[in-house]
Amino acid sequence: MFKTGLRTVAAVMLIGALVYLGSAIATAASPPTIKVGALYPFSGSLALLGDESFRGFELAVEEINASGGIQGGKKIELVKADALDPNQAVGEARRLISVVGVQAIFGTYASTLAFAASQVAELSGVPYFELGAISDPITERGFKYTFRTCPTSKNFAHAAVDAIIEAVAPALKIQPKDLRIAIIHEDSLYGTTVGGYEKQRAKEKGLNVVEVMPYSKDTVDMSSLMLRLKGANVDVVLQTSYVNDSVLFFRQMKEAGFKPKAVIGGGGGYSMKDTETAVGAKNIEGAFDIDFTQYQTNPKAAPGIDDFVKKYKAKYGTTPRSGHSLANYFGAKAIFSALNKANSMDKDAIRTQVMNLDIPAGTTVTGWGVKFGPDGQNTRCTPFLLQWQNGELVTVYPASAAVAKLKIGVGM
Amino acid sequence: MDVFLQIVVNGLLLGGMYVLVSVGLTLIFGVIRVANFAHGELLMVGMYAVYLLSKYLGLHPYVAAGPVVIFLFIIGVAIQRFIMQPLMNADPEIQIFATVGLSTALMNLALLVFGADMVSVQATGLRERFHIGSVRLIYANMVMFLTAVTLVVGLDLFLTRTYMGRAIRATSQNRLAAPLMGINVKKVYVLTFGIGAGCVGLAAALVAPTYPVFPTIGTYFVLTAFVIVVLGGMGSLYGAFAGSMIIGLIDSLSGFYIAPDLREVVYFLIFIIILIVRPTGLFGLGRGSE
Repeated sequence: MFKTGLRTVAAVMLIGALVYLGSAIATAASPPTIKVGALYPFSGSLALLGDESFRGFELAVEEINASGGIQGGKKIELVKADALDPNQAVGEARRLISVVGVQAIFGTYASTLAFAASQVAELSGVPYFELGAISDPITERGFKYTFRTCPTSKNFAHAAVDAIIEAVAPALKIQPKDLRIAIIHEDSLYGTTVGGYEKQRAKEKGLNVVEVMPYSKDTVDMSSLMLRLKGANVDVVLQTSYVNDSVLFFRQMKEAGFKPKAVIGGGGGYSMKDTETAVGAKNIEGAFDIDFTQYQTNPKAAPGIDDFVKKYKAKYGTTPRSGHSLANYFGAKAIFSALNKANSMDKDAIRTQVMNLDIPAGTTVTGWGVKFGPDGQNTRCTPFLLQWQNGELVTVYPASAAVAKLKIGVGM
Repeated sequence: MDVFLQIVVNGLLLGGMYVLVSVGLTLIFGVIRVANFAHGELLMVGMYAVYLLSKYLGLHPYVAAGPVVIFLFIIGVAIQRFIMQPLMNADPEIQIFATVGLSTALMNLALLVFGADMVSVQATGLRERFHIGSVRLIYANMVMFLTAVTLVVGLDLFLTRTYMGRAIRATSQNRLAAPLMGINVKKVYVLTFGIGAGCVGLAAALVAPTYPVFPTIGTYFVLTAFVIVVLGGMGSLYGAFAGSMIIGLIDSLSGFYIAPDLREVVYFLIFIIILIVRPTGLFGLGRGSE
């Protein structure tokens, strides 16, 4: 089994190399284009947000091509690849690099896919740009040609804890240290990572964390957890969750008669319309969410956000389904401006120009800036604090990006 | 004391829901001797049916229970007749493969038809709470508990008092001797699978107001249901009832006094201990049974 596997891989690689040679000869004469791979989950359970992410990337590419391309008039040719799990991400990344011959890969929305695909790209010396996956270790592996434009889970955790100190406590008119805080999170990789960073940050800032409770995301009952939160007189709950456990949390919070002063979610279930529909607008009213920039953001802090929505509507016929497309659009625009300056698709020239990027915060569609650290992580992207108000997720902090006033209390 | 009482009540109510979900499984397990791994997906199908009925016909989920039970009964009959029956004399693992395959197929069918998004059944008032003394109760959970008790008693009466019920029990006790007594074993199997699936339909109608529906919802319940069935003794209704209550209480108590993420650890430990001490389960027939 294993042997035939190896043989197949070898055969595919050989064929790939031949096709690559062939295509290199064939394209020599045609007008110059730059082929880039777009690796996203287009099918399977991640498909919805994978496709949403891709739309942002596609819009950025179309816009750049319409304005004459990069590197002296070369058009960007986009090659789509569907990765629904890590195995397929590896396979598709290999295909893109050795068969199609792309000169850079963009992707992927999901962290597990980003891990797998960036590994392949790094080994082949093809630059890899992650525009939407947040797991920290993606840019902590010492890779030279892997870059990420979006915030990491550590940024999310820090933003959540800082929001308590800077926004929630002042609004409650209570000293941050006097608030009793509980950190609850689902116990898979996502929740454990974010929850862990939150705990660490809260300790650094001297906050009073009274409960830290992981739970299984497959749980069908949270009543015991509610009783514990209630028994510990918790004021602020930090939750990291998927949709199902967010829904369960809000329903059972109401059923148990538990009324914290604030609930702050870290993306995931809190940013989904599905959660709001299942829980009901009046029950989720006032819940906070730390997240990628969404569309209810002050255009002064995110110039061009309105234009993006217009372009999106014109092309796809609906309003954007989440902020993922915006984050991908932002990342793609920044990276292509660096590729333009690199004036070749040589990996080291690209790295130099990407590292040279210096875009101040508050000047892009997401409100984020761009300045990469040596590890390839963008250091100028802080997620905003959003709040559910009247069935919509609106930005409430920082003040420059806010479109509504921060409200106190959870549920109506 | 108040908190302890509340935790115990929560546990028993949770147990009531587990009873509803596991009764069908124990029946199929005990009589047909098939581990139906598609059990959770039947629940999912039922919940989607409830959702569709309440959304497009405006039926209250409890009213939808009628048509959904019939619908799942038919599905159960079809599964036994067209999938399990041809495999009746095949090896047990082949039968397991068939149900696992069915489970995957149903889950992906739901993904195809409904997408990965979650939908929920609107049920005004059912998730409201009321008080008895200092203990909080939720209407929907109370209904589930009472229905669970009624269902177990009703099924027991059916199995002990009617001709068909006796035939089912006879078949489960000895599938070779039963046909000699003039029992049509194939018919008994088809009917049993139908009844088992029908029970899942009832569970779906009662669970739908409290949990959102999505293609993988079945997997959230099915593992617990298997633990309960083995714990209580395969095929034993009262075993499933007792098992559900035990698991519900363990869930609730360990979630509060130990840690929410460790409650599975606690109940699997107890599960292993019971398997070692009494491998046939609490109410199982003992070693001699098939």
